[in-house]
Amino acid sequence: MSLYERRDSLPIPPKDARVQSTVCQYCTVGCGYTVYTWPEGKNGGLAPGENAFKVDLAKPQPALGGLPYTESMWSTVQRADGQWMNVAIVPAADSPINLLRDHSSRGGTNAQTTCSDARPTRDRLRYPLLRIGDALEPVTWDEALSVLAALLKGTWDKHGADQICAKATDHGGGGGGFENNYAIGKLFFTGLQMKNVAIHNRPAYNSEVWGSRDRGVHELHYTAEDARLCDTLVLWGANSYETASVFYTEHMLPNFKGSTEPEKKAAFAPGEPLEPARMIVVDPRKTSSVAIPAMIDPDRVLHLRPNLGTDCVLANAVARALWERGYADKAMVEQRTDAASFEEYKSKSLGLGVPLDRFLADAAKITGVSREQIEKAADWIAKPKSDRHRRRTLVLYEKGMIWNYRNYDTIASLVQMAVLGGNIGRAGTGCGRQGGHQEGYVRPPYPGSRPPVNVDKYLIEGHGKLYWVIGTNPYLTTPRAQQFRKRIHERTLALTHALAKSGEPGTTEGRTKAILAALAKGDGLFMVVSDLYLTDTARDAHLVLPAAGWGEMNLTSINCNSRLLRLYERFMDPPGEAKADWDILASVGRRLEEAYAKEGKPADAKRFAGFDWKSDEDVFLAGAGEFPDNAVDEAGAESLPCETYKGVTYALLRSLGQQGIQTPVRKDPATGKLVGTRRRYGLRFATADGKLKWHGADPWTGYPAEVDKYLKGGKEKEFPFWLTTGRNQTLWQTGYHDRHIAEKMLTVPMPYVEIHPDDAKALDVKSGDLVEVFNEEGNGTFQARVVDSPRPGMIFALQYHPRGTSNSLTSAYTDPKTTIPWYKGTRVAVRKLRGTLKVAATATALAGNEYP
Amino acid sequence: MNRREFVKVAVVTTAAAGVPASALAGIAGRTYAPARIAKVSQLAVGVPVSFNYPDAQSPALLVKLGRSALGGVGPAGDIVAFSALCTHMGCPVQLQRDHFLCPCHYSKFDPALNGQAFQGLATQYLPQIRLRIDEATQEIVAEGVDGLVWGRIENA
Repeated sequence: MSLYERRDSLPIPPKDARVQSTVCQYCTVGCGYTVYTWPEGKNGGLAPGENAFKVDLAKPQPALGGLPYTESMWSTVQRADGQWMNVAIVPAADSPINLLRDHSSRGGTNAQTTCSDARPTRDRLRYPLLRIGDALEPVTWDEALSVLAALLKGTWDKHGADQICAKATDHGGGGGGFENNYAIGKLFFTGLQMKNVAIHNRPAYNSEVWGSRDRGVHELHYTAEDARLCDTLVLWGANSYETASVFYTEHMLPNFKGSTEPEKKAAFAPGEPLEPARMIVVDPRKTSSVAIPAMIDPDRVLHLRPNLGTDCVLANAVARALWERGYADKAMVEQRTDAASFEEYKSKSLGLGVPLDRFLADAAKITGVSREQIEKAADWIAKPKSDRHRRRTLVLYEKGMIWNYRNYDTIASLVQMAVLGGNIGRAGTGCGRQGGHQEGYVRPPYPGSRPPVNVDKYLIEGHGKLYWVIGTNPYLTTPRAQQFRKRIHERTLALTHALAKSGEPGTTEGRTKAILAALAKGDGLFMVVSDLYLTDTARDAHLVLPAAGWGEMNLTSINCNSRLLRLYERFMDPPGEAKADWDILASVGRRLEEAYAKEGKPADAKRFAGFDWKSDEDVFLAGAGEFPDNAVDEAGAESLPCETYKGVTYALLRSLGQQGIQTPVRKDPATGKLVGTRRRYGLRFATADGKLKWHGADPWTGYPAEVDKYLKGGKEKEFPFWLTTGRNQTLWQTGYHDRHIAEKMLTVPMPYVEIHPDDAKALDVKSGDLVEVFNEEGNGTFQARVVDSPRPGMIFALQYHPRGTSNSLTSAYTDPKTTIPWYKGTRVAVRKLRGTLKVAATATALAGNEYP
Repeated sequence: MNRREFVKVAVVTTAAAGVPASALAGIAGRTYAPARIAKVSQLAVGVPVSFNYPDAQSPALLVKLGRSALGGVGPAGDIVAFSALCTHMGCPVQLQRDHFLCPCHYSKFDPALNGQAFQGLATQYLPQIRLRIDEATQEIVAEGVDGLVWGRIENA
């Protein structure tokens, strides 16, 4: 018996199968994949000459490097002309990222995510839906776009740009790529001049790393090779084994195990000491990312477990220890950084006016990390290897830092700690984001100011008439999601009630007039959702637009670990009437241009000019116009936007295949040829004078009011646990695809919380029990996993799951400098639920962080 | 009606409903030669027995878990067997206390839950080997596999 349907054979692509190149639709790493499509019933043979794999399929494949063609890497899809096609999506043999055809549990199911009537992905949206009366009903694209364009124009003309709000993807990879992102920016910023736009996973339009960029350091400046070359690898708030799996297994671990020594010998200075990497993991939890290296060699692993929200203090304490021990890179500081702001940094961040003993004692008290560990970290990060050789340390950070308390100061402090130790711009160094998803950002400038508007708050307070959600599911992902959901539901329902006491006008004009009249008066909100599926958010939408996904359009993106730009080829048709986001946005833009022209308003019409794209490559090439002149030398390239791809065409990307080209791409003035960028900031930083600008962190003044309220007046007993949140390896984001894949949902059937055995005992909770987790912000049902990953007094919750979200519990705090929420720290209570659910019974009781 | 005939019928029926034949062609259609592995009395809790199945080059592990398991046989329903090739990249997995661990990329599988890939880079559960006990000899007999053994285009 099996929990899900298994196969004991797979169809073979014939030698004339169509073979295309793509990149995984999921995480930051961007593993290469090869796609084979062939008609139903026309299978190939076992001999290497009889199949498109060119592999002898009569023999078992060798481990580690043989063809991994597993049950989840195959599917059937129906072409628009009705022909059924086989699709096999297997890890590429020639990728510089996923060596030996490595792949994760995410990418291994790429084929299962394709839309097919033969599988649960048949749930995909196939036609536009308009709420007519009280129900979503199918309408044609012409009707849907006419309504949307009329409402956008009506709202803009009567109420102004600020009453149109949006939350939209800015992803690369499956979420969109340069094509969709550029179309979003062009319509929202140039056309509609909207500033009430939020990025997919947060309430505002901001960078999560202004603390780094303001220093002159774009967060994506290292290259994957640096993880192979570093002497010390620091994972700070990054659970890379689970969230950047192949980067961890193919690039970080080989270095830890010592197998990259020949590469180090070739890259390092003559006589420079070579040794397997040490690892520092800074994470309140004992994750698999620390447990695996600790199993291999515990002496080369340092695990720091700071109290929640104190990483800024910890980074500055390590920097102070580094400074006191004489490890600072004086040449770097003096020649390549700004002298005036360095004084502020020394005073405010390093606290040089405070005696060392007191500074480190205070830091140890706030962070819960001992002085001994702080000093050991400083040694491992920056103690020179010899009197002639500086240590090479690569610091990678992710959501544990970005979504922390005091976002701006936290990121700035970490980057400065790295620069102070000379760990940037050389092989094996850097201080950058691990990344979550891939990137593909190119847009006209955002018209808002800094700090940006909190659009969630704006909507909750009753502002905004029209809200357009693109490729994201804020009912699960926004902070304090429970309050957000209830309020958006109330506001969208208010509009529905205002319209539908009985029948509605049956004409497009009559309907849009009635909607605009209703919006002018009350609390009502018209919500548009563009997505692959009818998401949790879409249940309250008035208009739902079916989007094409990965593999259904050509798209381009970069990964985060090497900024590798590649083409993700279209290999199948979108289902039904679904269209690429860029195509939908362009259609709206053209309608608005026409409407303003017809009204005799050429200046307004002009804002919407240029949406006459015929293909995805047209959008890609149009987006390139946003980048500055890239005919610069190597030093000039240091200031180019990270994604600069001016001059690159689809034809070039097709010829480069999996090798791609690393952005920023420049046109070499000497040769006229396009040149990629392997590693950044070896020559200058991205500031006007090329010197890094220091920032002095604000002093620690305790927790913000939104969380501090739980720490006093008896509430510390009422809500006795710290809560932190994060992802796991099995599920990608909200599980928009994964909820349709049986083995994923069987493995993680419920959102879960990790509870330390001591706390579980006190709560009378065993692994598998269901619990309610709650605070004054919200509630959720979770399945308990009793495991020593969190410390006593702290629980960890999976952030999103199709059956619930821990973001209902997050506080309303955002960093005043950036409007970035603190998703990963608040207080909660836990109670055991009586009884159980059969659906929860397939969750393992075994610990995912126990090695061996 | 034997299994193959049943599958043929199923294919025809669903193809008529618009589902392609190949979507069903590889599902549990194969018949497997039975193989005797060991006697129930020879097993000790937590001590795996290696054997090859369904082909001579396919390493498999039989284990008495000491806790009831999905698809488990024996008096306690705790005897299970799995293909020992990691479903990720084909390395041989090892029994590590209560789970199978792959030494190459550290995927972990739960032998009590159908070989569930509960941690790591593997997606597919370990193919579970169907077992029965020969009442006369008290031998454990392998008689089929649920799932494609890694590195094979079809199970032998």
